[in-house]
Amino acid sequence: MLSLTLSDISVSYPGLATPALEIDRLAIPAGAHVAITGASGSGKSTFVNIVTGLERARQGRIDWSGTDIAKFSESRRDRWRAEDVGLIMQDFHLFPGLSALENVLLPARLSGAASAEIIGRGHDLLKRTGLQRPQQRIETMSRGEMQRVAVARALLRKPGVIIADEPTASLDVESGEAVGSLLLELAGQEESTLIVVSHDTRLTDRLSRKVTFNMGRIVSDTGRMERAA
Amino acid sequence: MIRFILADLRKYWLGSAVVVLIVALAVALGVAVTLQERALRLGSARAADKFDLVIGAAGSENQLVLSSVFLQASPLPLMDGRVLTQLASDPRVAWAAPIGFGDSFMGYPIVGTTTALVNNLADGLAEGKVFAREGEAVIGASVALKLGDQIKPMHGAAEEGGHTHAELAYRVAGRLKPTGTAWDRAVLVPIQAVWHIHGMGHHDEAEVERNHDAHGEAAEAHEHHAADPDATISETWDADVPGLPAILVKPKSIADAYKLRQQYRAGTTLAVFPAEVLTRLYATLGDAKRVLFAVATGSQGLVAASVLLVTVMHVGQRRRQIGALRALGAPRRALFSIVWLELFVLVAMGLAAGFALGYAAALAVSGMVASGSGVSIPVNFARDDIGFAVALLAFAALISSVPAVLAYRQSPASALRG
Ligand SMILES: Nc1ncnc2c1ncn2[C@@H]1O[C@H](COP(=O)(O)OP(=O)(O)O)[C@@H](O)[C@H]1O
Ligand SMILES: [Mg+2]
Repeated sequence: MLSLTLSDISVSYPGLATPALEIDRLAIPAGAHVAITGASGSGKSTFVNIVTGLERARQGRIDWSGTDIAKFSESRRDRWRAEDVGLIMQDFHLFPGLSALENVLLPARLSGAASAEIIGRGHDLLKRTGLQRPQQRIETMSRGEMQRVAVARALLRKPGVIIADEPTASLDVESGEAVGSLLLELAGQEESTLIVVSHDTRLTDRLSRKVTFNMGRIVSDTGRMERAA
Repeated sequence: MIRFILADLRKYWLGSAVVVLIVALAVALGVAVTLQERALRLGSARAADKFDLVIGAAGSENQLVLSSVFLQASPLPLMDGRVLTQLASDPRVAWAAPIGFGDSFMGYPIVGTTTALVNNLADGLAEGKVFAREGEAVIGASVALKLGDQIKPMHGAAEEGGHTHAELAYRVAGRLKPTGTAWDRAVLVPIQAVWHIHGMGHHDEAEVERNHDAHGEAAEAHEHHAADPDATISETWDADVPGLPAILVKPKSIADAYKLRQQYRAGTTLAVFPAEVLTRLYATLGDAKRVLFAVATGSQGLVAASVLLVTVMHVGQRRRQIGALRALGAPRRALFSIVWLELFVLVAMGLAAGFALGYAAALAVSGMVASGSGVSIPVNFARDDIGFAVALLAFAALISSVPAVLAYRQSPASALRG
């Protein structure tokens, strides 16, 4: 379980008048389930890129349980992300030609981390996501099933935090609901911190805290209000 | 990772196949040119090896060698028959055999000569015996006739509208072992019989036919003379030997060879070492060879450039996929390896196929040359080719690393951007 503390974050892109993301301070305690919402272009994906180390923060601190990944080199961030972050993306990013299980194991295999234990866990996770056939080719699956494979993949190495960027945006309502439930359930079972970026209120309403972005800034945070009250 | 690469190659199988194919074709071109050039050089050198010294009438050295070593019909000027008489009694000469051309049978050149050549040309006879009568013939290893078959000589070649000699039909008495030279396609007959058919030698008509050339351009003046197939042959030369296009000479030693060449280079005769003439011919062909190699190398360069272009574009198209793999925790070196291996495997397959294809093409060309001229040209890989293959592999490794570096530097953030 990881906690996150952001301070003095500011990300600007050339050609943009205001920063794409500007956060003075944001704290997410270990084990929290947090929704990040906001209109399109409000900086949500930029937030994900920064906190997962996909993009380099030029200023500020990104403190995960005492480790400031802003100071890490690119390779170091890659390694940290591989071990500690379970990432789920809107377009699944699964690889056709491989089976469900092979897709779950691929990143671990490429990192040389696919021990017998990890492979066993892959089987187990696929079962827990409700998929019966681990050998089924990924391209023959429905979109809802695909996203469940992606969830199993994200959880494979017992990450301290699960971060999902619009996990239901390319799914129909029913599959979206199922994937949302699965995420919440597994994050609880695995005792992972969960950050879900979404503007799907059916999903965000199920999380205990909601942080809303607008034009790169946090405009509301139910967690902070609760604490203030 | 291997499964991932295979799945990837399967997905892009058409593009992959095209890459393999064009690499294979470019490599095959280079390999075929290299192998064939070497085979031609070795094969003809080996064919010329049999003949230490060739003496003919003053004229073109190249033509003398092409006619005597490769049996390429060309009208050679005749030299005085007394040269043969002289050589036969020269102590520096192991044997000297006259050759006379002009007739053919079923596309096989009929060469009039003596038992000296029949005995020394190959490693002996494969079957039968050497000719002893005017009506007997010894055939080369690849002449498609059997012992006892009849040979009706055709004057000139059939394609040139020659006519059949009715005066004499030879009977196949023996077959030589293979020599790998043009002589494997020759029909050897006693030169005396050739003279008799054409009415030369040991007759008064010799005077009339003094200017008769071996090719029979003087067809109007061409008279035919009956010959007796059972007449035994005599190979002791008197002063009355008719004009000869060429004499093959085996000197006793290298020193003798040089002395003989020196002596017969003067005046009305010409003496050449066929191997030397061939070397000179190859030197003049050197430019053509360089052009061929330049074309082959150029095509390889073009293919390398186009493969590079295609794969760089391909990596561009897969930007998101590569970014996603990194976002999911794949280390950069794994991505480098994947992209590098994918391309390298394709190019290496192309290289292997290219070598096989080039070898096959060179063999096919050799087969065509062998059936056309009888000269067997051996297609073989040499030590140099290993170096060539290694250099190409190294180049492939280098080329493959260009898209691999691009993949390595691909930002992982692109996976999340729409
Ligand atoms: N690489 C980039 N270069 C320039 N502008 C960018 C880049 N990435 C994102 N942006 C801009 O930053 C803003 C925030 O983008 P993003 O974080 O993707 O929003 P969201 O995910 O909330 O839709 C948008 O205006 C977007 O156009
Ligand atoms: Mg977004």
